[in-house]
Amino acid sequence: MNNGKGTPAIEVRHLTVSYGARPALLDVSVRIEKDQLVGVIGPNGSGKSTLIKAILGFEKPDVGEILIGGEDVQKAKGKVAYVPQRGAVDWDFPITVREVALMGRYQHVPWYRSPSAADREAALEALSMVRMSDFAERQIGQLSGGQQQRVFLARALAQGSDILLLDEPFAGVDAATERAILDVLERAKAAGKTLVVVHHDLATAAEYFDNLVLLKQRLYAFGPPAAVLQEELLSQVYEGRLRVFTDLMAKEGGR
Amino acid sequence: MNFLLHAFWAPLTETYFQKALIGGCAVALVSGAVGSLVVLRRMAFLGDALSHAMIAGVAGGYLAMKLLFGVEAYAPAMLLGSLIAAIITVALIGVVSKVSRVKEDTVIGIMYTGVFALGVVVVSIFRQYIHIDLMHFIMGDILGVADTDLWASAIVSASVLTILVLFFRHFQLASFDPIMAASTGLPVLVLDYALTGCVSMVVVSAVSMVGVILVVGLLITPAATAYLLSDRLDKMMALASLFGVTSVIGGLYLCVWLDSAGGGAVMLFCTLQFLAVLAVAPRYGLLARWRRLRNMIPQQVVEDVLITVLRQQKETPLKVLQQFVQVPQPGTLWKAVKQMESEGLIEALPQGYRLTGVGEKQAANVLRAHRLWESYLASIGTPEDAVHPTAHRLEHIHGAGIVDYLDQKLGQPEVDPHGQKIPRRGNGARKKPAGNEPEEQ
Ligand SMILES: Nc1ncnc2c1ncn2[C@@H]1O[C@H](COP(=O)(O)OP(=O)(O)OP(=O)(O)O)[C@@H](O)[C@H]1O
Ligand SMILES: [Mg+2]
Repeated sequence: MNNGKGTPAIEVRHLTVSYGARPALLDVSVRIEKDQLVGVIGPNGSGKSTLIKAILGFEKPDVGEILIGGEDVQKAKGKVAYVPQRGAVDWDFPITVREVALMGRYQHVPWYRSPSAADREAALEALSMVRMSDFAERQIGQLSGGQQQRVFLARALAQGSDILLLDEPFAGVDAATERAILDVLERAKAAGKTLVVVHHDLATAAEYFDNLVLLKQRLYAFGPPAAVLQEELLSQVYEGRLRVFTDLMAKEGGR
Repeated sequence: MNFLLHAFWAPLTETYFQKALIGGCAVALVSGAVGSLVVLRRMAFLGDALSHAMIAGVAGGYLAMKLLFGVEAYAPAMLLGSLIAAIITVALIGVVSKVSRVKEDTVIGIMYTGVFALGVVVVSIFRQYIHIDLMHFIMGDILGVADTDLWASAIVSASVLTILVLFFRHFQLASFDPIMAASTGLPVLVLDYALTGCVSMVVVSAVSMVGVILVVGLLITPAATAYLLSDRLDKMMALASLFGVTSVIGGLYLCVWLDSAGGGAVMLFCTLQFLAVLAVAPRYGLLARWRRLRNMIPQQVVEDVLITVLRQQKETPLKVLQQFVQVPQPGTLWKAVKQMESEGLIEALPQGYRLTGVGEKQAANVLRAHRLWESYLASIGTPEDAVHPTAHRLEHIHGAGIVDYLDQKLGQPEVDPHGQKIPRRGNGARKKPAGNEPEEQ
């Protein structure tokens, strides 16, 4: 294990990203070591998706830098795979489950060639890892929410990147699917991948993740769940919804 | 027979018809393919803008050649002028919508009408020098296609199709998920410009045939028609091209037979084709939708069946179900039972229907809802004889949280007002954490 030594998988330094005049992220620094399952929590509009997009190299920082395996994001193209938030996908797009998984292979296919048999094989394998091979010919809009999540997870796995970013993979899925997705994530972690997962359910956050990032425009906390899920911190971040969390903290304490 | 032969064959022997057919098909082929991307990326309005902006370019090109070299109506220069005008318009749209708070669709509207107006003013000021028939420009003239136009559309069609085929994957990924495309190093911005460039070229070569106003229809209508029929982008593009070609062929015959305007006939045919497909498309069509709605079994019927079987405590024949379950139409009960069988809620035995494990759990949840609603109704002083029938209606309202709310509010009663036991919450449903919108699976 690299206990803080060696190159971190993702290093975010003093990151500020803004849309127009209003910064979505302000001076955020985190250092995510390899082989970790990291959760990102924070209320709606707190900049979680923005952080993900910045780590992907899609949103350019106003200030600060992001290093992927020690290399600047803009140079580290294709090293980070991601599963988009549900609302960010056009579910009516004419594309089948198989093609979405195959998209994960595109970065390995030179522009003058078609995806090879091996690429198709890899895409199918990724689909079977998330138990979606039976749905390969379906148009993506004709799947349930949990199945849709798994298809995009398959795409990310097919990319073969060492870093996976997932934007709310557990939103709107039932308990069984949540378990299934978590299993895949844990297997990926065991296979040496680093995972960053945006998560909304504080009740399960401690159980699922090695480390948590608590965001609301600024970084409020980063560290092991026990350190981050502090009532005082949470009430600061989720102002006005305090009551819910007092209940929750009581439950956490009773564990 | 002879008449039919004449109707179809005679036009084909005319040169003007042949040219119209060739030029029209070349343009339709490529505009269907590129139009598919335009439709999926919601750029339809931009297509319209590009066609209108052209006139300024045409006028500019004409004027430049005339003043500099004394050449009249030099087609390549006008074509180049149109492309330049298109690019300038797009750039203006991009800049203004980025730096101002005015939304993009409005900016498109402002810029293209502005550039169009500039073109109209220039054409009318220099009417001694340049002889551009505005009407021709606006309405197009597919039956009078010049050879230069034919060549232009053939070249545009071939080159744009080549680009689309070569970079199909790139356009697909960049349209479907630009964030991922960027993260894998695809030059998304370059692809955007390339696509806009392709659209401009197609629009420019199509304007001489169907005119400024109709060109956007040729771009998007065949693509939208194909969209109703396809679940894959490559198939959608191929079908869109096909529909474009059939529109041109059908429209040209229509125009000869009816002796009407060419461009108008083509677009009319194209629109009718869209409406026909919209009606009958197997999955996304209106007929299919109507049939789906008709075949849909109300959840209420399903739940009534569940609860009836549960109450019978034994195999329940269809006859008993008919007695207890109210249905909107006679056939619905039978359909409901079949569907529930295939979903594994009930199973058919010789003596009648029995609940499966899953079915029992669901039935218990409905029963729980029913009895809790009864308790609630009794607690708010509903007359005794109204309690059961009202609860029977209300038991179908048992979405996440609602029944639990009643349960809490009533202090988790063990029995309902009639002294019957209220089943505990089935373990089928998960308790959703607070603050998370429960979503139906
Ligand atoms: N493309 C955009 N243009 C302008 N503002 C944006 C854009 N995307 C996000 N924002 C703003 O930036 C802030 C952070 O947004 P972000 O999408 O990162 O939030 P989030 O934490 O992912 O929220 P959610 O939980 O709702 O997904 C919000 O205030 C949002 O309104
Ligand atoms: Mg988000």
